[in-house]
Amino acid sequence: MVKYVIMIHSNPQPWGHPTSDYLPDYQVMPDEQRERLNADFEAMLADLREKGELLGGEALGAPESSRLYRWSDGKPLVTDGPYSEAKEHLAGFFLVDVDSQERAEEIAARFAGPGETVELRPAMWPGGSDQ
Amino acid sequence: MTAQVVEDVWRQESAHVLAALLHRYGDLGDCEDAAQEAAEAAARQWDRDGVPDNPRGWLIRVASRRVIDRMRTDDARTARENALSAALPSDAHLSQAAGRSPHDEADDTLRLSLLCCHPSLSRSSQVALTLHAVGGLSTAQIAAAYLVPERTMTQRLTRARSTLRAAGAVFTLPARADLPARIAAVLDVCHLMFTEGHTRSTGDALVDSPLAEEAIRLTRQLHSVVPDHDEVAGALALMLLTHARAAARTEDGNLVPLAEQNRSRWDHRRIAEGVRILERVLPRGHVGRFQLQAAIAAVHAEAESWEGTDWRQITLLYAMLARVAPSPAVTLNQAVAVGMAFGPEDGLALLGPLLDDPVTRRHHRTHAVRAHLMEMTGDLPGALDSYRQAARLTASQPEQRYLNARIGRLVAT
Repeated sequence: MVKYVIMIHSNPQPWGHPTSDYLPDYQVMPDEQRERLNADFEAMLADLREKGELLGGEALGAPESSRLYRWSDGKPLVTDGPYSEAKEHLAGFFLVDVDSQERAEEIAARFAGPGETVELRPAMWPGGSDQ
Repeated sequence: MTAQVVEDVWRQESAHVLAALLHRYGDLGDCEDAAQEAAEAAARQWDRDGVPDNPRGWLIRVASRRVIDRMRTDDARTARENALSAALPSDAHLSQAAGRSPHDEADDTLRLSLLCCHPSLSRSSQVALTLHAVGGLSTAQIAAAYLVPERTMTQRLTRARSTLRAAGAVFTLPARADLPARIAAVLDVCHLMFTEGHTRSTGDALVDSPLAEEAIRLTRQLHSVVPDHDEVAGALALMLLTHARAAARTEDGNLVPLAEQNRSRWDHRRIAEGVRILERVLPRGHVGRFQLQAAIAAVHAEAESWEGTDWRQITLLYAMLARVAPSPAVTLNQAVAVGMAFGPEDGLALLGPLLDDPVTRRHHRTHAVRAHLMEMTGDLPGALDSYRQAARLTASQPEQRYLNARIGRLVAT
């Protein structure tokens, strides 16, 4: 089994969850289509949970609500967020534990949606081969 | 009396208790739950009164009552209850069942393993269920071994049992024609379990996950049930020969590659046993992938050093393995062996297709092997590039540390 983090980079305006409610790409969609996408997403999460593949996840507060700790003169220097000037910010993450890279990619693809970037990163594991 | 005694008895008896229940009640979910409750009752009562003369009979009796209680209280199962109450076994009948012959017991172990590795289940469910039902590990122990929360593991086990129920999987031996494929699935599960445990082993009993030892125990059991199955014997030999290196494969938490291991720290008793099994099975004819991998491990085990290894023999074995079970991992190992036997350029030539393929190009080992072979040719900048690429791509912390150390050494020269 291999662990992966699925990160959702997004820029909802105003910041809010589910991010799709606050993204222009979703707002132009007919209600029916938007509801179907939301229902599909909920069904997928339920399926991952039921299979024991979803280990956890959180939706994150607005980038401006973050506090940044940088090291300066031998002590932490605290400033207000956002951390990055990039257009998109980390909006939430999911931790999954799956059989293979292929399965992780299949799941990550289903997290993708209009106006957002999904990042799939493997978690490091404590073992290794001596070959 | 300590909890350890109860645990030892449980590990010894759980599969047999479960088998006895399955013979009567059929449903793995119900039987496992009841067996678990019996184990908990044993922990309480044996601590007070001591271990009974026939612990297995005791466990079966208590668990049987639990299965029946459970079915009685479950309204949705009224129909099954009616069928069952007619067949309610007497205590005498149960004690008799507890003393079944060794032949029946072997059959039970096989049946139970086959049920847990039923084709309706995903590989990871098969592994979890086998560890729980055949190995007698608790949900908490399995969750810890796989570094997931206990509730996730409970979820996986519950789902696996309901999948079995939906598939109508039963506790009987499959048709003779299906048996080889079904045993092969059990073997794959044991081998996967072994690999997951061994690659995390540190040679330290306090830190090690129980998976590798459990896989060896289960494969040994399977081997004693089907001694004529050559690949079961091969897999057992492979595990013994590979895990013999456990104590030497890390030092201060750092990974030590086979080439640099202190071979005096290898477990020579296990090596001897692995070699003995191989010598018995190899002449029989059909040589499958586990036997070939075991033969390669045996050549390594018998060499006094990396350089002094019979690399030509190993290249021959890899060529056979590449025909029987081709895979990128086999090509990579073959490239290392060819590089050692005939020179690094020959090894590098084998890597070409793997570097062109968009999937294997993203595997860190493709680049680690390339780096190693380029270092042998004296192309240090090329080796450095490949080590860096490998270190970026690996998801293994110890391997990354090793590759970074290698990079540090090359940069310093």
